[in-house]
Amino acid sequence: MSSYLPLFLLFLIAAVLAVVLFTLATVLGPKNPTPEKLMPFECGGDSEGSRFVRPSVKFYLTAILFVVFDIEVVLMYPWVVSFKSLGWMGFVTMASFVSLLVVALAYVWKKGALEWEK
Amino acid sequence: MNFRALLGVAPLLVVALGGALLMVAEAFSRRRDDDEHGPTGPSSELALATAVTLFVGAIFSAAVWFVGPEKIEGANAVAPYIVVDRFTTFVSFILCLGAGLSALLAGGYLPEHKLDRGEFYPLLTFSTVGAMILASAGDVLSLFIGLETMSLGVYAMTGFRRTSPRSTEAAVKYFLLGSFAAALLLYGAALLYGATGHTDFDGIRQALITPVGKPNRGLTLIAATLVLVGMAFKVSAVPFHMWTPDAYEGAPTPATGYMAVAVKTAAFASLLRVLLGALGHPDLASWGSGWPPVLAFLAVLTMTVANLTAGRQESVKRMLAYSSIAHAGYVLVAVVAMPKAGAESQGAVLFYLLAYTVSTVGAFGALILCGSRGAEAVSYEDLAGLGKRHPAAAAAFSLFLLSLAGVPPTAGFFGKLNVVKAAIGAGHIALTVVLLINSVLAAYYYLRVLVYMYMRDPAPGAPIAKPMRSGYVAGALVLAAIAVIGLGLWPVLPLRVALAAALAAK
Repeated sequence: MSSYLPLFLLFLIAAVLAVVLFTLATVLGPKNPTPEKLMPFECGGDSEGSRFVRPSVKFYLTAILFVVFDIEVVLMYPWVVSFKSLGWMGFVTMASFVSLLVVALAYVWKKGALEWEK
Repeated sequence: MNFRALLGVAPLLVVALGGALLMVAEAFSRRRDDDEHGPTGPSSELALATAVTLFVGAIFSAAVWFVGPEKIEGANAVAPYIVVDRFTTFVSFILCLGAGLSALLAGGYLPEHKLDRGEFYPLLTFSTVGAMILASAGDVLSLFIGLETMSLGVYAMTGFRRTSPRSTEAAVKYFLLGSFAAALLLYGAALLYGATGHTDFDGIRQALITPVGKPNRGLTLIAATLVLVGMAFKVSAVPFHMWTPDAYEGAPTPATGYMAVAVKTAAFASLLRVLLGALGHPDLASWGSGWPPVLAFLAVLTMTVANLTAGRQESVKRMLAYSSIAHAGYVLVAVVAMPKAGAESQGAVLFYLLAYTVSTVGAFGALILCGSRGAEAVSYEDLAGLGKRHPAAAAAFSLFLLSLAGVPPTAGFFGKLNVVKAAIGAGHIALTVVLLINSVLAAYYYLRVLVYMYMRDPAPGAPIAKPMRSGYVAGALVLAAIAVIGLGLWPVLPLRVALAAALAAK
């Protein structure tokens, strides 16, 4: 337990330092607010619209499809490495997994999930 | 591992493959947008295909039973993640049967109420795959995967009527509480792993028994409690039942039937495996220091609260929802009796689940049959005078309600009889008395439907429920009715089968 003590001290110092620095900056720093300065900074341009932007659900769909096919590749790497030792059983297993994903791909394609503009 | 071993998981594979095919078939089928053609859209054929898939799954389960899972070489190659034994096979049969009947109901219901979207059927099928995995899981990891696979499909089916705020509310409520329960269960499982160093049920039990390096008792108790709470959510035992009435009422009726039947059966099967496997330690399974008194308390609370509330409902669908909670309470009585009554008690649970499945699907099916063209039969008044106008629908409804009430010679009677026998055998007299009192309470609201159907005339000007015409619904009801009467007249053989299944689960 005691071997973690330095780590704990490090966290403590970091936290204290952050609090102290921000407090000092707030208390000691000069303040001269103007309406211009109080506006949210947006690459130098005037900010427009609400802060709350609702992303289109299309992004969600694309993201989830990406994750699905990404994970497929993640699972394939270790399979490739141990391809010889797994033998035919491994091949059949991976083949059925990939063909299931092909079925899913056909489904999302047909349903139009891959088209950005409908 | 050889390929013959796949025979053991054949029911699971058939249903999973069928689900994938259905999904593609649904995507490539032509969508009819006009409402003129009535209930002959593509979804009707999909319903038939789904029902066939699931019934084939049931037939395969029966086939595995006759071959004998223990005789299939290598069937347990992936144990404990998927355990193939007679218990799994029996529960898979019930699940496929209940889901297949629900699919038939959906084939009539969805087009009739303009919900004709084919996605329902792949969801139903995949959800059943999850339920079958849940029932065969001998490890916390596959238990969780099965649970989530099952639940995800059901959440989507609950919110299937997308334009109705009721349905959406039900789906969101069910989703939030379901995820919460799953999180509790997962937390409990993680703590069990922390206490014992195992995720498989056998390993956990062994670790709890071994005196060397004894797991922390407090940690074990907290873990067991969390797991049991998670399971209690899924079987909707009081006080974890709050989501049930809303979810059941908001969901389209075939989905309600499916939830009441398959989700509950799979959850109970899994509960049995957890209690007998992971928490089967004699200390944990004894009345003095383990889970039986906790579950007994839940059982008493579940039966009493559900029955008292069910009697006050004005909506028949909601009444059936509370009735399904009450039935969870009756099953819990048999679960409590397990440590003392042994296999007899587990057999009673399994037989009850079978009897409950056919009766409940039938009851929801009969309710579906009583509505048409977007006008569902909701209240008792809607059913007034049905006995004179449509004797067949009324007779079917009466049969299933009598079975749920436990009137001989129906399946429900023998289900209750076995539970009572097991409870008395285990010496739980007080619990038995509570169960019997509750059965009498329950008879009130079941018989109330009969009174309305046969002894009341509809009030002048009141909307009268017109029964729909659907071969699918009628077919499902005939199948369910045959099962209900068959189990009631010849209960010995199915009971013996249930006992054999129970013995397999240690």
